[in-house]
Amino acid sequence: MGLITSQKQSRELFKPYDQETKEALAKRYTPEQIRAIEAGEQAIDPQDLNERGVIRTDWGSLPYLDDFSVIRPSIDRKPRSEAPVDPNMRLMTEKEMVDEMRKYDMKIMKEHPTAPDFNFEDEASRSTVRPNRIDMFRAIDETPEFIGSNGPVVSESALAPGVRMDFEAAMDDSESSKEKDAEEDERDPDGVFDRLRKQTGLTLDQIRSYQVKVLVRHRVVNQTRLGKIQSQYCLAIAGNGNGRLGLGEAKGQEPEDTQVNARIQAIKNMQPIPRYEERTIFGEVEGKVSAAEVTLMARPPGFGLRCQHLIFEMARAAGIQDLSAKVPRSRNKMNTVKATYQALMKQRIPDEVARGMGKKLVDVRKVYYGGRV
Amino acid sequence: MSLVHLSNVCSHLQNASKARLGLTSVPSSNMILRLTLALQTSGFLSTVARGGLTPPPFDALSTYVPEPVTQENISTRRLWLGLKYWNNEPVLSQMSMVSKPTKRIWMDVEGLGRIVRGREAGFVKGLTKPGECMFISTDRGILEARECVERKVGGMLLCRVL
Repeated sequence: MGLITSQKQSRELFKPYDQETKEALAKRYTPEQIRAIEAGEQAIDPQDLNERGVIRTDWGSLPYLDDFSVIRPSIDRKPRSEAPVDPNMRLMTEKEMVDEMRKYDMKIMKEHPTAPDFNFEDEASRSTVRPNRIDMFRAIDETPEFIGSNGPVVSESALAPGVRMDFEAAMDDSESSKEKDAEEDERDPDGVFDRLRKQTGLTLDQIRSYQVKVLVRHRVVNQTRLGKIQSQYCLAIAGNGNGRLGLGEAKGQEPEDTQVNARIQAIKNMQPIPRYEERTIFGEVEGKVSAAEVTLMARPPGFGLRCQHLIFEMARAAGIQDLSAKVPRSRNKMNTVKATYQALMKQRIPDEVARGMGKKLVDVRKVYYGGRV
Repeated sequence: MSLVHLSNVCSHLQNASKARLGLTSVPSSNMILRLTLALQTSGFLSTVARGGLTPPPFDALSTYVPEPVTQENISTRRLWLGLKYWNNEPVLSQMSMVSKPTKRIWMDVEGLGRIVRGREAGFVKGLTKPGECMFISTDRGILEARECVERKVGGMLLCRVL
Protein backbone atom coordinates (compact mmCIF):
# COMPACT_ATOMS: atom_id res chain seq x y z
CA MET A 1 0.00 0.00 0.00
CA GLY A 2 1.24 3.41 -0.74
CA LEU A 3 0.55 6.33 -2.94
CA ILE A 4 -0.17 5.11 -6.42
CA THR A 5 0.65 7.70 -9.00
CA SER A 6 -1.18 7.55 -12.26
CA GLN A 7 0.94 10.30 -13.73
CA LYS A 8 1.87 9.90 -17.33
CA GLN A 9 5.45 9.72 -18.41
CA SER A 10 6.85 13.19 -18.96
CA ARG A 11 7.98 12.36 -22.49
CA GLU A 12 4.41 11.41 -23.37
CA LEU A 13 3.00 14.64 -21.99
CA PHE A 14 5.53 16.82 -23.77
CA LYS A 15 6.15 15.10 -27.06
CA PRO A 16 8.91 16.30 -29.36
CA TYR A 17 7.78 18.02 -32.57
CA ASP A 18 6.99 15.58 -35.37
CA GLN A 19 7.64 16.28 -39.02
CA GLU A 20 4.15 17.70 -39.64
CA THR A 21 4.32 20.23 -36.83
CA LYS A 22 7.81 21.24 -37.88
CA GLU A 23 6.55 22.04 -41.37
CA ALA A 24 3.67 24.04 -39.90
CA LEU A 25 6.13 25.95 -37.72
CA ALA A 26 8.40 26.61 -40.69
CA LYS A 27 5.55 28.49 -42.36
CA ARG A 28 5.22 30.85 -39.44
CA TYR A 29 8.77 31.31 -38.17
CA THR A 30 12.05 32.18 -39.80
CA PRO A 31 14.80 29.53 -39.86
CA GLU A 32 16.66 31.39 -37.08
CA GLN A 33 13.57 31.32 -34.89
CA ILE A 34 13.08 27.63 -35.65
CA ARG A 35 16.64 26.94 -34.61
CA ALA A 36 16.06 28.87 -31.36
CA ILE A 37 12.91 26.84 -30.69
CA GLU A 38 14.80 23.60 -31.30
CA ALA A 39 17.61 24.70 -29.00
CA GLY A 40 15.04 25.45 -26.33
CA GLU A 41 13.47 22.03 -26.80
CA GLN A 42 16.91 20.47 -26.41
CA ALA A 43 17.77 22.47 -23.31
CA ILE A 44 14.66 21.77 -21.26
CA ASP A 45 14.23 18.33 -19.78
CA PRO A 46 10.57 17.19 -20.06
CA GLN A 47 10.87 15.65 -16.60
CA ASP A 48 11.74 19.08 -15.22
CA LEU A 49 8.95 20.73 -17.15
CA ASN A 50 6.47 18.24 -15.73
CA GLU A 51 7.58 18.69 -12.14
CA ARG A 52 8.52 22.34 -11.99
CA GLY A 53 6.63 24.04 -14.78
CA VAL A 54 3.29 23.90 -13.00
CA ILE A 55 1.61 26.58 -10.97
CA ARG A 56 0.89 24.86 -7.70
CA THR A 57 -2.61 25.03 -6.27
CA ASP A 58 -2.25 22.64 -3.35
CA TRP A 59 -2.48 23.62 0.31
CA GLY A 60 1.22 24.07 0.88
CA SER A 61 1.62 26.59 -1.90
CA LEU A 62 1.89 30.32 -1.43
CA PRO A 63 -1.00 32.55 -2.42
CA TYR A 64 1.26 34.63 -4.69
CA LEU A 65 3.82 34.08 -7.40
CA ASP A 66 7.44 34.68 -6.53
CA ASP A 67 10.82 33.90 -7.97
CA PHE A 68 12.75 32.57 -5.02
CA SER A 69 16.06 32.55 -6.86
CA VAL A 70 16.33 36.33 -6.50
CA ILE A 71 16.69 38.13 -3.18
CA ARG A 72 14.73 41.34 -3.21
CA PRO A 73 15.78 44.16 -0.91
CA SER A 74 13.44 45.15 1.94
CA ILE A 75 11.08 42.23 1.20
CA ASP A 76 13.22 39.17 1.70
CA ARG A 77 15.13 38.47 4.87
CA LYS A 78 18.86 38.20 4.91
CA PRO A 79 19.94 34.60 4.31
CA ARG A 80 21.69 33.17 7.36
CA SER A 81 24.81 31.14 6.96
CA GLU A 82 24.26 27.51 7.95
CA ALA A 83 27.88 26.98 8.94
CA PRO A 84 28.67 26.09 12.57
CA VAL A 85 29.63 29.00 14.81
CA ASP A 86 33.32 29.24 15.67
CA PRO A 87 33.58 28.94 19.47
CA ASN A 88 36.87 30.88 19.51
CA MET A 89 35.45 33.88 17.68
CA ARG A 90 35.98 37.20 19.44
CA LEU A 91 35.64 40.86 18.65
CA MET A 92 38.83 42.45 17.34
CA THR A 93 40.73 44.84 19.54
CA GLU A 94 40.85 48.45 18.48
CA LYS A 95 44.37 48.06 17.15
CA GLU A 96 43.52 45.03 15.05
CA MET A 97 40.52 46.83 13.60
CA VAL A 98 42.58 49.85 12.65
CA ASP A 99 45.15 47.52 11.07
CA GLU A 100 42.47 45.89 8.95
CA MET A 101 41.18 49.29 7.85
CA ARG A 102 44.67 50.38 6.95
CA LYS A 103 45.22 47.19 4.95
CA TYR A 104 42.00 47.83 3.03
CA ASP A 105 42.94 51.43 2.29
CA MET A 106 46.44 50.47 1.19
CA LYS A 107 44.98 47.94 -1.22
CA ILE A 108 42.78 50.63 -2.78
CA MET A 109 45.69 53.06 -2.97
CA LYS A 110 47.78 50.42 -4.73
CA GLU A 111 45.01 49.73 -7.22
CA HIS A 112 44.39 53.44 -7.88
CA PRO A 113 47.73 55.23 -7.62
CA THR A 114 47.69 59.03 -7.48
CA ALA A 115 48.22 60.64 -10.85
CA PRO A 116 51.68 62.26 -11.37
CA ASP A 117 50.07 65.62 -12.24
CA PHE A 118 48.08 65.71 -9.00
CA ASN A 119 47.36 69.23 -7.84
CA PHE A 120 45.91 69.72 -4.35
CA GLU A 121 44.55 73.17 -5.24
CA ASP A 122 42.49 71.86 -8.16
CA GLU A 123 38.96 70.65 -7.26
CA ALA A 124 38.68 68.21 -10.18
CA SER A 125 42.06 66.67 -9.51
CA ARG A 126 41.28 66.32 -5.80
CA SER A 127 38.06 64.39 -6.48
CA THR A 128 39.98 61.65 -8.32
CA VAL A 129 42.00 60.67 -5.26
CA ARG A 130 41.28 57.22 -3.87
CA PRO A 131 40.33 56.17 -1.20
CA ASN A 132 37.43 58.60 -1.32
CA ARG A 133 34.34 58.85 0.89
CA ILE A 134 32.62 55.85 -0.68
CA ASP A 135 35.73 53.74 -0.11
CA MET A 136 35.68 54.74 3.55
CA PHE A 137 32.10 53.53 3.93
CA ARG A 138 32.92 50.38 1.98
CA ALA A 139 35.82 49.74 4.32
CA ILE A 140 33.48 49.94 7.31
CA ASP A 141 31.14 47.45 5.69
CA GLU A 142 33.71 45.06 4.28
CA THR A 143 36.58 44.85 6.73
CA PRO A 144 36.32 42.02 9.26
CA GLU A 145 35.39 42.79 12.85
CA PHE A 146 35.82 39.36 14.40
CA ILE A 147 38.77 37.03 14.80
CA GLY A 148 38.17 33.29 14.68
CA SER A 149 40.51 30.33 15.01
CA ASN A 150 41.62 30.79 11.36
CA GLY A 151 42.27 34.52 11.49
CA PRO A 152 39.90 37.40 10.75
CA VAL A 153 36.31 36.46 9.85
CA VAL A 154 34.65 38.57 7.17
CA SER A 155 31.36 39.69 8.68
CA GLU A 156 28.13 39.84 6.72
CA SER A 157 27.34 43.08 4.98
CA ALA A 158 25.25 45.46 7.05
CA LEU A 159 23.31 46.45 3.96
CA ALA A 160 19.94 44.93 3.18
CA PRO A 161 20.28 41.85 0.94
CA GLY A 162 19.95 42.49 -2.76
CA VAL A 163 20.81 46.18 -2.57
CA ARG A 164 22.97 47.05 -5.54
CA MET A 165 26.42 48.21 -4.60
CA ASP A 166 26.88 50.87 -7.30
CA PHE A 167 26.90 53.85 -5.01
CA GLU A 168 28.68 55.96 -7.62
CA ALA A 169 25.54 55.91 -9.76
CA ALA A 170 23.45 57.01 -6.78
CA MET A 171 25.82 59.89 -6.12
CA ASP A 172 25.86 60.82 -9.78
CA ASP A 173 25.25 64.58 -10.02
CA SER A 174 26.04 64.92 -13.69
CA GLU A 175 23.92 67.00 -16.07
CA SER A 176 21.82 64.11 -17.35
CA SER A 177 20.62 63.04 -13.91
CA LYS A 178 19.83 66.63 -12.97
CA GLU A 179 17.73 67.00 -16.08
CA LYS A 180 15.84 63.86 -15.22
CA ASP A 181 14.98 65.24 -11.79
CA ALA A 182 13.86 68.54 -13.14
CA GLU A 183 11.48 66.87 -15.57
CA GLU A 184 8.04 68.00 -14.51
CA ASP A 185 4.52 67.00 -15.37
CA GLU A 186 2.00 69.67 -16.35
CA ARG A 187 -0.59 67.92 -14.16
CA ASP A 188 1.57 68.56 -11.10
CA PRO A 189 3.34 71.84 -11.91
CA ASP A 190 4.14 72.70 -8.28
CA GLY A 191 5.86 69.37 -7.76
CA VAL A 192 3.63 68.53 -4.79
CA PHE A 193 3.93 64.81 -5.36
CA ASP A 194 7.60 64.80 -6.44
CA ARG A 195 8.89 63.62 -3.09
CA LEU A 196 6.14 61.01 -2.76
CA ARG A 197 6.89 59.71 -6.23
CA LYS A 198 10.55 59.38 -5.41
CA GLN A 199 9.95 57.72 -2.06
CA THR A 200 7.32 55.23 -3.15
CA GLY A 201 8.09 54.73 -6.83
CA LEU A 202 4.47 55.47 -7.73
CA THR A 203 3.68 57.19 -11.00
CA LEU A 204 1.60 60.33 -11.15
CA ASP A 205 -1.14 58.37 -12.90
CA GLN A 206 -1.32 55.94 -10.00
CA ILE A 207 -1.38 58.73 -7.44
CA ARG A 208 -4.14 60.51 -9.31
CA SER A 209 -6.17 57.32 -9.58
CA TYR A 210 -6.40 56.96 -5.79
CA GLN A 211 -9.47 58.23 -4.03
CA VAL A 212 -8.09 60.73 -1.55
CA LYS A 213 -10.28 62.87 0.64
CA VAL A 214 -9.83 65.10 3.65
CA LEU A 215 -12.46 63.95 6.12
CA VAL A 216 -11.68 65.93 9.25
CA ARG A 217 -10.39 69.47 9.44
CA HIS A 218 -10.32 71.67 12.47
CA ARG A 219 -8.36 74.34 14.25
CA VAL A 220 -6.07 73.41 17.11
CA VAL A 221 -4.43 75.83 19.52
CA ASN A 222 -1.21 75.68 21.46
CA GLN A 223 -1.29 77.99 24.46
CA THR A 224 2.13 79.43 25.21
CA ARG A 225 3.16 82.25 27.51
CA LEU A 226 3.36 84.49 24.45
CA GLY A 227 -0.23 83.76 23.48
CA LYS A 228 -2.23 81.26 21.49
CA ILE A 229 -0.62 79.66 18.46
CA GLN A 230 -3.21 78.42 16.04
CA SER A 231 -2.74 75.71 13.50
CA GLN A 232 -4.90 73.45 11.42
CA TYR A 233 -5.33 69.71 11.84
CA CYS A 234 -6.27 67.52 8.88
CA LEU A 235 -7.16 63.86 8.65
CA ALA A 236 -7.26 62.41 5.15
CA ILE A 237 -8.05 58.96 3.80
CA ALA A 238 -6.70 57.38 0.65
CA GLY A 239 -7.85 54.21 -1.03
CA ASN A 240 -7.41 52.54 -4.38
CA GLY A 241 -11.02 51.33 -4.47
CA ASN A 242 -9.73 47.79 -4.52
CA GLY A 243 -8.91 46.74 -0.98
CA ARG A 244 -6.28 49.25 0.13
CA LEU A 245 -6.89 52.05 2.58
CA GLY A 246 -4.70 54.53 4.42
CA LEU A 247 -5.09 57.28 6.99
CA GLY A 248 -2.97 60.42 6.98
CA GLU A 249 -2.74 63.10 9.62
CA ALA A 250 -1.07 66.48 9.36
CA LYS A 251 -0.92 69.67 11.35
CA GLY A 252 0.40 73.02 10.25
CA GLN A 253 -0.05 76.76 9.91
CA GLU A 254 -0.97 76.86 6.24
CA PRO A 255 -4.33 75.21 5.49
CA GLU A 256 -3.37 74.34 1.91
CA ASP A 257 -0.05 72.74 2.80
CA THR A 258 -1.56 70.87 5.71
CA GLN A 259 -4.19 69.29 3.51
CA VAL A 260 -1.61 68.27 0.93
CA ASN A 261 0.58 66.78 3.66
CA ALA A 262 -2.34 64.83 5.07
CA ARG A 263 -3.17 63.47 1.62
CA ILE A 264 0.43 62.43 1.02
CA GLN A 265 0.61 60.75 4.42
CA ALA A 266 -2.62 58.90 3.66
CA ILE A 267 -1.25 57.59 0.37
CA LYS A 268 1.96 56.53 2.09
CA ASN A 269 0.07 54.71 4.84
CA MET A 270 -2.12 52.67 2.51
CA GLN A 271 -2.50 49.11 3.78
CA PRO A 272 -4.42 46.14 2.40
CA ILE A 273 -7.63 45.40 4.28
CA PRO A 274 -9.25 41.97 4.22
CA ARG A 275 -12.52 41.81 2.26
CA TYR A 276 -14.95 38.94 1.89
CA GLU A 277 -15.69 38.30 -1.79
CA GLU A 278 -14.18 41.74 -2.45
CA ARG A 279 -17.45 43.37 -1.41
CA THR A 280 -17.91 43.22 2.36
CA ILE A 281 -16.06 42.46 5.56
CA PHE A 282 -15.68 39.24 7.55
CA GLY A 283 -18.45 39.03 10.16
CA GLU A 284 -18.79 41.70 12.79
CA VAL A 285 -15.86 43.79 14.02
CA GLU A 286 -15.49 46.42 16.67
CA GLY A 287 -13.03 49.25 16.94
CA LYS A 288 -12.56 51.65 19.80
CA VAL A 289 -10.51 54.82 19.99
CA SER A 290 -11.04 56.88 23.11
CA ALA A 291 -14.81 57.08 23.67
CA ALA A 292 -15.67 56.50 20.01
CA GLU A 293 -16.79 52.94 19.42
CA VAL A 294 -17.56 51.60 15.97
CA THR A 295 -19.22 48.31 15.09
CA LEU A 296 -19.00 47.24 11.47
CA MET A 297 -21.21 44.44 10.21
CA ALA A 298 -20.98 42.33 7.07
CA ARG A 299 -24.03 42.40 4.85
CA PRO A 300 -25.37 40.38 1.87
CA PRO A 301 -24.73 41.38 -1.75
CA GLY A 302 -26.68 44.40 -2.94
CA PHE A 303 -27.21 45.77 0.56
CA GLY A 304 -25.16 48.87 -0.09
CA LEU A 305 -23.28 51.08 2.31
CA ARG A 306 -25.84 51.92 4.96
CA CYS A 307 -23.65 53.77 7.40
CA GLN A 308 -22.77 57.30 8.42
CA HIS A 309 -20.89 59.59 6.06
CA LEU A 310 -17.36 59.10 7.44
CA ILE A 311 -17.56 55.32 7.39
CA PHE A 312 -19.27 55.50 3.99
CA GLU A 313 -16.34 57.45 2.52
CA MET A 314 -13.82 55.04 4.01
CA ALA A 315 -15.70 51.98 2.76
CA ARG A 316 -15.99 53.48 -0.70
CA ALA A 317 -12.30 54.30 -0.86
CA ALA A 318 -11.43 50.79 0.28
CA GLY A 319 -13.76 49.16 -2.25
CA ILE A 320 -16.34 47.74 0.15
CA GLN A 321 -19.85 47.69 -1.27
CA ASP A 322 -22.00 46.06 1.42
CA LEU A 323 -21.65 47.26 4.97
CA SER A 324 -23.64 48.53 7.88
CA ALA A 325 -22.23 50.26 10.92
CA LYS A 326 -23.15 51.49 14.34
CA VAL A 327 -21.47 54.28 16.26
CA PRO A 328 -23.16 53.90 19.62
CA ARG A 329 -21.14 56.21 21.83
CA SER A 330 -19.06 59.28 21.04
CA ARG A 331 -19.35 60.54 17.47
CA ASN A 332 -16.16 62.57 17.44
CA LYS A 333 -15.20 62.67 13.75
CA MET A 334 -11.49 62.07 14.14
CA ASN A 335 -11.91 59.18 16.56
CA THR A 336 -14.70 57.63 14.50
CA VAL A 337 -12.44 57.52 11.46
CA LYS A 338 -9.58 56.06 13.47
CA ALA A 339 -11.83 53.48 15.15
CA THR A 340 -13.23 52.44 11.77
CA TYR A 341 -9.73 51.96 10.41
CA GLN A 342 -8.78 49.95 13.48
CA ALA A 343 -11.89 47.78 13.07
CA LEU A 344 -11.21 47.16 9.37
CA MET A 345 -7.63 46.15 10.13
CA LYS A 346 -8.40 43.75 12.95
CA GLN A 347 -10.91 41.52 11.19
CA ARG A 348 -10.68 37.86 12.07
CA ILE A 349 -10.22 35.85 8.91
CA PRO A 350 -12.36 32.67 9.04
CA ASP A 351 -9.62 30.56 7.44
CA GLU A 352 -7.13 31.63 10.10
CA VAL A 353 -9.65 31.09 12.89
CA ALA A 354 -10.37 27.61 11.56
CA ARG A 355 -6.67 26.81 11.41
CA GLY A 356 -6.31 27.95 15.01
CA MET A 357 -9.19 25.76 16.11
CA GLY A 358 -7.89 22.85 14.04
CA LYS A 359 -10.98 22.65 11.85
CA LYS A 360 -11.61 22.38 8.17
CA LEU A 361 -13.61 25.21 6.71
CA VAL A 362 -15.40 25.28 3.37
CA ASP A 363 -17.24 28.30 2.04
CA VAL A 364 -20.42 26.96 0.47
CA ARG A 365 -21.79 30.30 -0.61
CA LYS A 366 -20.56 29.91 -4.15
CA VAL A 367 -21.56 26.25 -4.35
CA TYR A 368 -25.28 26.46 -4.98
CA TYR A 369 -27.15 27.91 -7.96
CA GLY A 370 -24.12 27.47 -10.18
CA GLY A 371 -22.09 29.93 -8.10
CA ARG A 372 -24.15 32.87 -9.29
CA VAL A 373 -25.36 34.09 -5.88
CA MET B 1 -25.00 23.32 39.31
CA SER B 2 -23.77 26.61 40.57
CA LEU B 3 -23.05 29.02 37.75
CA VAL B 4 -20.80 31.08 40.00
CA HIS B 5 -17.96 28.59 39.57
CA LEU B 6 -18.54 28.55 35.83
CA SER B 7 -18.31 32.36 35.74
CA ASN B 8 -15.03 32.13 37.59
CA VAL B 9 -13.77 29.60 35.06
CA CYS B 10 -14.72 31.96 32.20
CA SER B 11 -12.83 34.86 33.73
CA HIS B 12 -9.88 32.67 34.62
CA LEU B 13 -9.51 31.32 31.06
CA GLN B 14 -9.65 34.85 29.65
CA ASN B 15 -6.99 35.99 32.08
CA ALA B 16 -4.79 32.96 31.39
CA SER B 17 -5.01 33.59 27.63
CA LYS B 18 -4.08 37.24 28.07
CA ALA B 19 -1.11 36.17 30.18
CA ARG B 20 -0.11 33.72 27.41
CA LEU B 21 -0.08 30.69 29.73
CA GLY B 22 0.34 27.31 28.11
CA LEU B 23 -1.22 25.38 30.95
CA THR B 24 -3.70 26.36 33.61
CA SER B 25 -6.00 24.69 36.09
CA VAL B 26 -9.63 25.17 37.06
CA PRO B 27 -11.68 23.59 39.83
CA SER B 28 -12.99 20.15 39.00
CA SER B 29 -16.71 19.53 38.88
CA ASN B 30 -18.87 17.47 36.55
CA MET B 31 -20.25 20.55 34.80
CA ILE B 32 -16.88 22.22 34.34
CA LEU B 33 -15.39 18.96 33.12
CA ARG B 34 -18.12 18.59 30.51
CA LEU B 35 -17.80 22.19 29.41
CA THR B 36 -14.02 21.94 29.05
CA LEU B 37 -14.41 18.73 27.05
CA ALA B 38 -16.88 20.55 24.78
CA LEU B 39 -14.34 23.38 24.43
CA GLN B 40 -11.69 20.83 23.51
CA THR B 41 -13.92 19.23 20.86
CA SER B 42 -14.54 22.67 19.42
CA GLY B 43 -10.79 23.24 19.25
CA PHE B 44 -10.38 25.97 21.86
CA LEU B 45 -8.27 23.84 24.23
CA SER B 46 -5.45 21.47 23.38
CA THR B 47 -5.71 19.18 26.39
CA VAL B 48 -8.02 18.48 29.32
CA ALA B 49 -6.58 16.31 32.09
CA ARG B 50 -7.72 15.53 35.61
CA GLY B 51 -5.14 15.98 38.29
CA GLY B 52 -4.39 17.26 41.75
CA LEU B 53 -2.55 20.32 42.91
CA THR B 54 0.36 19.53 40.58
CA PRO B 55 -0.12 19.11 36.84
CA PRO B 56 -0.22 15.60 35.37
CA PRO B 57 2.80 14.47 33.28
CA PHE B 58 2.05 15.98 29.86
CA ASP B 59 4.75 13.99 28.07
CA ALA B 60 2.99 10.73 28.96
CA LEU B 61 -0.59 11.88 28.92
CA SER B 62 -1.83 8.96 26.82
CA THR B 63 -0.84 6.40 29.45
CA TYR B 64 -1.58 8.62 32.45
CA VAL B 65 -4.27 7.30 34.82
CA PRO B 66 -5.59 9.97 37.18
CA GLU B 67 -5.65 9.26 40.87
CA PRO B 68 -9.09 7.98 41.90
CA VAL B 69 -11.25 10.53 43.65
CA THR B 70 -11.76 9.75 47.35
CA GLN B 71 -13.33 11.53 50.28
CA GLU B 72 -9.86 12.67 51.38
CA ASN B 73 -8.58 14.15 48.14
CA ILE B 74 -11.79 15.48 46.55
CA SER B 75 -11.15 19.05 47.63
CA THR B 76 -7.76 19.14 45.93
CA ARG B 77 -8.90 17.80 42.50
CA ARG B 78 -8.29 20.22 39.61
CA LEU B 79 -8.74 20.12 35.85
CA TRP B 80 -5.56 20.95 33.95
CA LEU B 81 -6.22 22.67 30.64
CA GLY B 82 -3.79 23.26 27.77
CA LEU B 83 -4.41 26.60 26.05
CA LYS B 84 -3.88 27.16 22.33
CA TYR B 85 -2.26 30.00 20.45
CA TRP B 86 -2.17 30.61 16.72
CA ASN B 87 -0.48 33.40 14.74
CA ASN B 88 0.62 35.00 17.99
CA GLU B 89 -3.00 35.29 19.11
CA PRO B 90 -4.81 33.17 21.68
CA VAL B 91 -7.38 30.83 20.11
CA LEU B 92 -9.67 31.42 23.07
CA SER B 93 -9.67 35.17 23.58
CA GLN B 94 -13.09 35.94 25.05
CA MET B 95 -15.34 33.82 27.21
CA SER B 96 -18.38 35.23 28.95
CA MET B 97 -21.52 33.87 30.61
CA VAL B 98 -24.91 34.16 28.94
CA SER B 99 -26.93 32.78 31.83
CA LYS B 100 -26.15 34.45 35.11
CA PRO B 101 -26.39 32.83 38.55
CA THR B 102 -29.42 35.03 39.24
CA LYS B 103 -30.96 34.77 35.79
CA ARG B 104 -30.74 31.59 33.83
CA ILE B 105 -31.76 31.60 30.20
CA TRP B 106 -33.26 28.61 28.44
CA MET B 107 -33.92 28.45 24.75
CA ASP B 108 -35.65 26.10 22.32
CA VAL B 109 -34.29 24.95 18.94
CA GLU B 110 -36.10 27.71 17.08
CA GLY B 111 -34.36 30.42 19.08
CA LEU B 112 -31.02 28.62 18.87
CA GLY B 113 -31.45 28.43 15.10
CA ARG B 114 -31.84 32.20 14.97
CA ILE B 115 -28.77 32.71 17.16
CA VAL B 116 -26.65 30.36 15.07
CA ARG B 117 -27.65 32.29 11.94
CA GLY B 118 -26.44 35.49 13.58
CA ARG B 119 -29.84 36.88 14.58
CA GLU B 120 -30.94 38.03 17.98
CA ALA B 121 -33.34 35.82 19.93
CA GLY B 122 -34.85 36.62 23.32
CA PHE B 123 -32.37 39.37 24.21
CA VAL B 124 -29.44 37.06 23.39
CA LYS B 125 -27.14 38.39 20.67
CA GLY B 126 -26.43 36.13 17.71
CA LEU B 127 -23.12 34.50 16.84
CA THR B 128 -21.95 37.14 14.36
CA LYS B 129 -18.19 37.00 14.66
CA PRO B 130 -16.12 34.41 12.80
CA GLY B 131 -15.33 31.49 15.10
CA GLU B 132 -17.78 32.53 17.81
CA CYS B 133 -19.35 29.60 19.69
CA MET B 134 -22.03 29.21 22.33
CA PHE B 135 -22.27 26.30 24.72
CA ILE B 136 -25.64 24.95 25.84
CA SER B 137 -26.40 22.63 28.72
CA THR B 138 -28.89 20.08 27.40
CA ASP B 139 -30.18 16.71 28.55
CA ARG B 140 -27.62 15.18 26.19
CA GLY B 141 -24.72 16.90 27.87
CA ILE B 142 -23.06 20.21 27.11
CA LEU B 143 -23.18 20.87 23.38
CA GLU B 144 -22.17 23.62 21.01
CA ALA B 145 -25.13 25.71 19.74
CA ARG B 146 -24.75 24.53 16.14
CA GLU B 147 -24.72 20.93 17.26
CA CYS B 148 -27.87 21.56 19.32
CA VAL B 149 -29.62 22.86 16.22
CA GLU B 150 -28.41 19.84 14.26
CA ARG B 151 -29.73 17.43 16.90
CA LYS B 152 -32.86 19.50 17.54
CA VAL B 153 -32.39 19.94 21.29
CA GLY B 154 -32.77 23.09 23.35
CA GLY B 155 -31.38 23.86 26.77
CA MET B 156 -29.82 26.37 29.09
CA LEU B 157 -27.38 28.82 27.50
CA LEU B 158 -24.13 28.66 29.43
CA CYS B 159 -21.46 30.82 27.84
CA ARG B 160 -20.25 32.29 24.58
CA VAL B 161 -16.65 31.81 23.50
CA LEU B 162 -14.60 33.69 20.93
